[in-house]
Parts: sequence; structure tokens; C-alpha cells
Amino acid sequence: MIRFLLRRFVTMLVTLLIISALVFLIIKLPPGDFLTNQIAELRAQGEADAAAKAEFLIKQYGLDKPVWQQYLVWLGAMPGQNGFSGLLQGDWGWSFEYDRPVVEVVGDALWLTLVVNVAVVIFIHLVSIPIAIYSATRQYSLGDYVATFVGYIGLATPSFLLALILLYYSNRWFGISIGGLFDSRYAGQPWTWDKVKSLLAHLVVPTLVIGLAGTAAMIRRMRANLLDELGKQYYVTAKAKGLAPGRALLKYPFRMSLNPFIADIGNLLPHLVSGSVLVSLVLSLPTVGPILLSALKSQDQFLAGFILMFVAVLTVLGMLISDLLLAWLDPRIRMGGGR
Amino acid sequence: MPVLFCLRAGLLALFTALPLLSALAADYVEQPYWAEKVAKKELPPVSERVPRTPYVSEQANGSYGGDVVTLVARARDIRYISTYGYSRLVGYDRNLELQPDILEKFENEDDRIFTFTIREGHRWSDGHPFTAEDFRYYWEDIAGNKDLSPAGVPEFMMVDGKPARFEVIDERTVRYTFDKPNPRFLPNLAGPVDPGIYRPAHYLKQFHAKYADKAKLDEAAKAQKLKSWAALHNRLDDMKEHTNPDEPVLQPWHVTNRAPANRFVFERNPYYHRVDAHGHQLPYIDRIIMDVSAGGLFAAKANAGEVDLLFRGISMSDIPVLKQGEKAHDYTTLLWPYARGSELALYPNLNAKDPVWRALNRDPRYRRALSLAIDRKTLNNVFLFGLGIEGNNTVMEQSPLSFSGLRTLNAGYDPSEASRLLDEIGLGKRNAAGTRLLPDGRELEIIVETDGEASHIVDALTLIGEFWREIGVRLFVKPQDRTVLRNRAFAGLTTMVAGQGFDNAIPTAIMPPTEYAPMRQDNYAWPQWGQYVETKGKNGEAVDIPEARRLLDLYSIWMNTANRDVQRNVWTEMLRNHAENQWTIGTAAGALQPIVVRNGLKGLPQKALYSWEPTAMIGIYRIDEMYWNKAALKEARR
Repeated sequence: MIRFLLRRFVTMLVTLLIISALVFLIIKLPPGDFLTNQIAELRAQGEADAAAKAEFLIKQYGLDKPVWQQYLVWLGAMPGQNGFSGLLQGDWGWSFEYDRPVVEVVGDALWLTLVVNVAVVIFIHLVSIPIAIYSATRQYSLGDYVATFVGYIGLATPSFLLALILLYYSNRWFGISIGGLFDSRYAGQPWTWDKVKSLLAHLVVPTLVIGLAGTAAMIRRMRANLLDELGKQYYVTAKAKGLAPGRALLKYPFRMSLNPFIADIGNLLPHLVSGSVLVSLVLSLPTVGPILLSALKSQDQFLAGFILMFVAVLTVLGMLISDLLLAWLDPRIRMGGGR
Repeated sequence: MPVLFCLRAGLLALFTALPLLSALAADYVEQPYWAEKVAKKELPPVSERVPRTPYVSEQANGSYGGDVVTLVARARDIRYISTYGYSRLVGYDRNLELQPDILEKFENEDDRIFTFTIREGHRWSDGHPFTAEDFRYYWEDIAGNKDLSPAGVPEFMMVDGKPARFEVIDERTVRYTFDKPNPRFLPNLAGPVDPGIYRPAHYLKQFHAKYADKAKLDEAAKAQKLKSWAALHNRLDDMKEHTNPDEPVLQPWHVTNRAPANRFVFERNPYYHRVDAHGHQLPYIDRIIMDVSAGGLFAAKANAGEVDLLFRGISMSDIPVLKQGEKAHDYTTLLWPYARGSELALYPNLNAKDPVWRALNRDPRYRRALSLAIDRKTLNNVFLFGLGIEGNNTVMEQSPLSFSGLRTLNAGYDPSEASRLLDEIGLGKRNAAGTRLLPDGRELEIIVETDGEASHIVDALTLIGEFWREIGVRLFVKPQDRTVLRNRAFAGLTTMVAGQGFDNAIPTAIMPPTEYAPMRQDNYAWPQWGQYVETKGKNGEAVDIPEARRLLDLYSIWMNTANRDVQRNVWTEMLRNHAENQWTIGTAAGALQPIVVRNGLKGLPQKALYSWEPTAMIGIYRIDEMYWNKAALKEARR
């Protein structure tokens, strides 16, 4: 077990190193860099003297160095400018756009992102598991068809369009302000019960929109897995021996059908941070997704790089966790590394 | 040492603010907003806060109180309040005449010697006196400091590469002297972005190595992850960007919080220098509140009645949505004509690398043919609801420099004449598909490049492609990233670029005609020529077309005179030159800029021209004179 963990750990580190190089390279691929883009934009708006100030910053951030040097500085393998030490030393770098350390920029948005995405995950599971069990046990009934139909509609509607429609009507019918995670009145105010209520009201639309697509997929998979198990002999035997139907269902078949979802934890973790970018953009949610997009567009390299690395770390960790969980949950699965 | 100022024969212009009519110190009305602070003696009464000789606005007629909520797409965009707040040393009034604003008066001798007088008792928003020292600090310690300004003195304060001479006459008077006339100087000070040739010296000195301990400052810079004291000074000195609430300003409102935030609050400046004729200190509105929201939601949020005032970030295509919510949410959408040379202009690259295209683009008959082949009426109907002004890329009728024919010369719709011109040039050969052939046998397929910022440009180009097909010319649209496009254009790789027309379409004779002469690299019609002028002949190519050369000569005539008649004649000839040569091909101008105003918020004209330059968006219409009427005030106190 220890040897297995160690081996996994080494491969994880190598993976992350390669990812970091790729991430940095891809961010730097478009021509120009944050400040030259900035200057171009200012000039396009006729603000030539503001551009002069931006030129002052190019040297300060070492953007005039070659890409490989910038990468090594970011990584922490080379001494950086103005006391920037690098990722390995736990310094996430500086955001040009916000003019603040990256860790502050992401930190603010991170927990709101978690709130939204955790709400979505809970919503998906609460809705889809009961529906899936119902559809599987009553295959080809009217209820099954209705659930399937609604699920497909959810899957087929582009989520940003649904978001816009729901935004408009939630404002028309319930007076919820458009976009954001709470009323602008509460921006920068301390948390009060009213602010929490505003947050909950604003959570409804994003949760619905992001959740609907996920729900449909989950219902289908769960239903298929359950149908597989329900035809197996042990279940037939258990029912024949007079085990109560509810217990017979939940004790083994249901547990077995959860396996794929345990394996999915690896994808779920990074999703909690980087998921739902499009919807967040449309709904103007102050989450990590829009920050990442604008960072990529404006080539705010350390900010974009950090978010992508963070997601990569979460993915790798998630994979490890799901492997361990699966081995622990399902005795049929064995470690392959121990030979 | 004061210099004796002797009047010389020549043109001496003296501009003084309107004499103070009525407001004696005792007549000033205190703002409810500061009442508590004044009662507690934390703030002097209003009569001691306004300058002894304030700027008196004759037209302002409102009452104190209330907030105005507006939107910005990113935290960085709060800086635009410096544009539409529009307090300048000298500024344009509604007739685009230059008037002293922050200054009490300015004297201008031959556009060479500029003498500025500060209002007596004028104070920064923190209550510290505003004096000649603030001008000196900028000139000597910021512009003259290699660490803070590597580029040196701003270009508009130099003539022929020589900076102005600066002297402090006394506590309230400063003078800039140039060897030759510098007619750009005052228009630049009145521009949409304040060049800021004065800075709060008393605040900034504590961060300047000359006045404070350099080692300590470098230490403080390091703690903020900055390289040096200069970087720290530059970060804190942000009068225009409003990122530093500690830095005092002379603007009507002063920011109270810093990023990161989703809501920025600007509070009235208690020492502001403008008053109305009834003893109110401006601005009438207590606070400007800016909420950060995704740009795509602006129209939806306005439609839901979440803003009191909104113009930047919404455009013509949002008008139906904005109109639709008016009744339910109690606001009005004003529609102002956008003053721009043309909403869409084509820039044939006169400096293209490809010799065949270069020769074609330089042939005025070719440019005229392409212009005559555009059905502008259809374009206008499709993109501007038929409300646009069809024709060349030129000045608006409202400009005093406009004359008839500018807009319409060679800008009608005449495909047969266009075809005749192309045949005359020698493009008569066609392939089986009816596309004309270039002299070297390639097909006449123009790749029009554009930055992907505006989708309507791409749509309009598709239409133009249909019109041109009739005369045997194919058009391909290539949208791309702005930076890529600029680099391609600078390298001479573009054949033709589509973009917006002239930024300043309502110039007066005193405004520099920079945009109209080949002297800027970022004009897609002549990137190499512009680079040649910008780099003083180091890079790029010299202008080698006589008509374009004439534009440069005209610009230097404008630069070297203080005679307004000569300047007007220069402008007239330049505009005629542009219409005759069609360096750029205009289509239709006069898009409408929607301005969402909550009912009850008064003080904006019903209809006026909107532009970046010279109106500073809605700046010259003075938003510090906007006020809530009695009925709406309760609502607006948030």
C-alpha cells in the first residue's frame, strides 16, 4: 500500500510538472503579452498617455525576457524580479489586471464558486437518484418516459440560453435583481440574514441551469447501471426469499450501481472550482470561471496559470481519492501496483 | 523670481471666468450630506470650502441630494468617471469653446506663452490648498524624473522635440513658454483624458525619494511586491484611474473604496470649485455608485430598472430592449447621435507590401470605384434603422468646419460608373465566374481584415461583399485579434482593414488635425508613413504621394500659427483633400447612442452629440449639474 502510494505520488509530480509547462506555453502562444495588449487597447481608445504608464511596467514584470526564462521564474527554479520567488516556494505570483497578488484574487472568488457548485452537486444528486431508481424499477412505464423526456430536454437546451430566459422571468415575476450572487445593495456589506436570503434567491437560477444538464446524464447512467444489477441472480434470489423490496434494492444493487460515480469523484473535485464557466459568465456570477476567461483573454499569465494549475492539482488528487475509495468500497477491485 | 511680464505686439488672448454675481459667503447653502460633519466641526462650513472666486454655472438650477447608480464592466473601468466628470484646467463648454474651469483664468500669447492663474482659496478634496507647487511638482519631480517618467515630458508639451520652459510666477500663477507656437497645448488639457499636469504634491512627496528616505520607500515597495520607490509612487499617483482613495482630487466626486469590490462608491468632493448662481456648491448629486457587472447584462439590467444613468457599454443594438422596459421601470432612453466620421470605414493600405495591391490602393480611381459600388442606403437601413447619415468618412454637419459636398462627393451609388473606372484602370479581364483579374493574373479578391470587437462590422462587410460582387470584385472578411491585426498592418501585410472612422467628427479650428494627416502608425491607411513621422524618419517610409504630403504640410502650417483664420483654412483644405482622395472609404455615420436616465433625474439635454472626443462622452454637458427632482429624491437616497 505504501509503495503504491509512493509510486502514485511520483507520477503525480511528473504529471503536474508537464502540465505546468504546457499551461504556461499555451498562455504565451498568442502574440504580445498582457501589457502590450493593454497598450494597444488604450491606444485604440485614443488614450496615448495612459499607454506610456503601461510601458513603464513591462520591465518591472520581466515581460521582456524569453518565455523559458519567464516559465522558470514562475516555477521558482530561477530568481525572479521584485522578490517574486515562484510556485515551488508557495508564491502564486501577481495579477496584472487586478494589480494584486493572485492568491487574493482567486481567494475571493473561490468560496463563492464552491457555494454555487456544491449547491449544484447536491441538487443533481437529490433530484436524479430518486428519479433513476423509480425509472429503473418501473421500466417502460409512463413515469419512466416522462422522466427520460424531461431529462433529454434539460440535456438539449443550451444552458446559457436557459439562463437568460430564467433571469428575465425571475426578475419579472419575483423581482430578483439580474445577475450576480446577491443584490448590489449588499456588495461589500457584512453578512446579515437579509444578505443570506438574497444569496439563496440568486442561487436558484444558476443551480437549476447548471444542474439540469447534469441531472439528465446522471439519471440515464444510474438507470442503466441499476437495470444491469436488477437482472442478476442474487437480486432475483433475494426477492424470491422474501426480502422486503426496498431493502433488497438498496442493500446490493444500488450500491453496485454507485461505482461509476465514485470513480467520477476525480472529475468532480476540479469541477467544483472550474465548472459552469459559461453560465457564470452569462449570469455575471463572481466566480472563478469568468476570472479565468478574462485572464486568458488579457494574458494575465500568472493568474490564468495559477487557476489552471490549481485545477490540475485537484484533478490529480481527485483521481487518487477515487482510486482509494473504490478499493475500500468494492472488495472486487485490487491494487495493481503491489506485485 | 517673478518675471516682469510685458505686453508685446501680437495676439494676446485673455480668458477669465465669469465674475461672481451674487453669491456672498453668507449666501451659500450647506449640503445635508455634510451637515453632521460641519456641526461636529470636522469640516469647515461650505462658504469656507469653495474658492474665493468659484466657477459660477449660470445654467445649473437644481437641489442637493441623492445617489446615482450606474454600471461598469470591470473594476478598471471606474476610471471613466474622470472622463465624464470632466473637470479640467481648461475645458470645452457646450459650444466647444475653451473656458477656464479649474483655473480662474488663463492668458495665451501667440499660442507660445501660457499663463495660468489658480483660483484663490481653491483646495484639494482633502482640504489642502491647491497651489503653483502642485504644477511644479508634476513638472520637475514627475515629468522631469527619469525613474518616474522614463519617456520624459509628454509629447504635447514639446515643440520640435524641445520641452516647454516652466516658471512659477507666484503662489497662484504658473507659466509655460514655448519657442514656437504650440496650439495643441490647450486642446490637450481639455481632452477626454486629463493629462494631469498638476498633482497633489503635499500627498505624493511622502513617497518621492527626493523628499523622503529612499531606503524606507524601497522597503515599503518591496513589501508590496514592487520593484522600487518609483513603482510605488506611480501606483499611488493615480488621479485619473481612481484606484487610490487616499489621493486627493479636484474632480466632483472622489472614490471611497479600492478594488477588489463589486461596488464602488464615489462621494461628493467637499472642496469642489463650481457653484450655481443660487448659492449651491456643485455637484448636486451626493454619491455616484458603480456596480461591477458583466458587460453582456447591461441592457438587461437597465431594462429591469437597476440603473439611474447608463451610457458606456450599451449601443444601438440594445435600443429595442431598453425601450421595452421604460414604462414598467420608470426610466427614459435618450437617443443621442454618435459623432464619428463613419460607423464603418474601409482603410485601403497605401503602404501594402504586395506591389500589385499597393499600386491599386494608391490609385484614386480604384478607391472611388469601390466607394461608388457601395449601396449605402441599404447599409443604413439594415444597421442604423435608416437613421444614419450616408456618405464619406468626414466631419458631422454640427462641426463649424463642415461644408456641403464633404459627405457626398463620390459617395453615391453608381455601379456602372464604378465598373467603367475599374475597366479604365485596366482591370477589364474577368474569369469564368465574372471576377475581375489583377494585372498579374490573380483574381481581384480583397481580404478585408478587422478586429473581432464589433460583430456588426463583420455583418456589414458581408453586405458590402454582395454589392461589390456586382462589379466583379470579391470580398473576404477576416476577423482576428486586435494585436495580431495591428502587427500585420504595421508590417504592411494587410490589403484593406475595416474599422471605425474618425474619432473626432465635430472638430473646431483650434483642435489639432492629427487624425487627418499621415502621422500616426495606428491609422490602417498609412501605417508606414505614420511610423516614419512618429520615429522622426528612423523607421517606416516617407510619404511619397503629393496629395498626402500636402496633408503633412498643412498640419505643420496649423502647428506653427496662432492665427485662427489660418487654422480654419488648413482644416477646410484638409477636409476637402480627404473627400477628393478618399483615403478611407466611409459608409454611414450617426449611429445612436442610448443613454438610460431614471425619470426624475434632471439636467441632461434631450438630444446632443455624443463622442469620445471632444465631448468626453457626456462630460461637456456637466453631470455635476444633474439633480433629482423633489419627487424622485426620496427614492434616490439609498
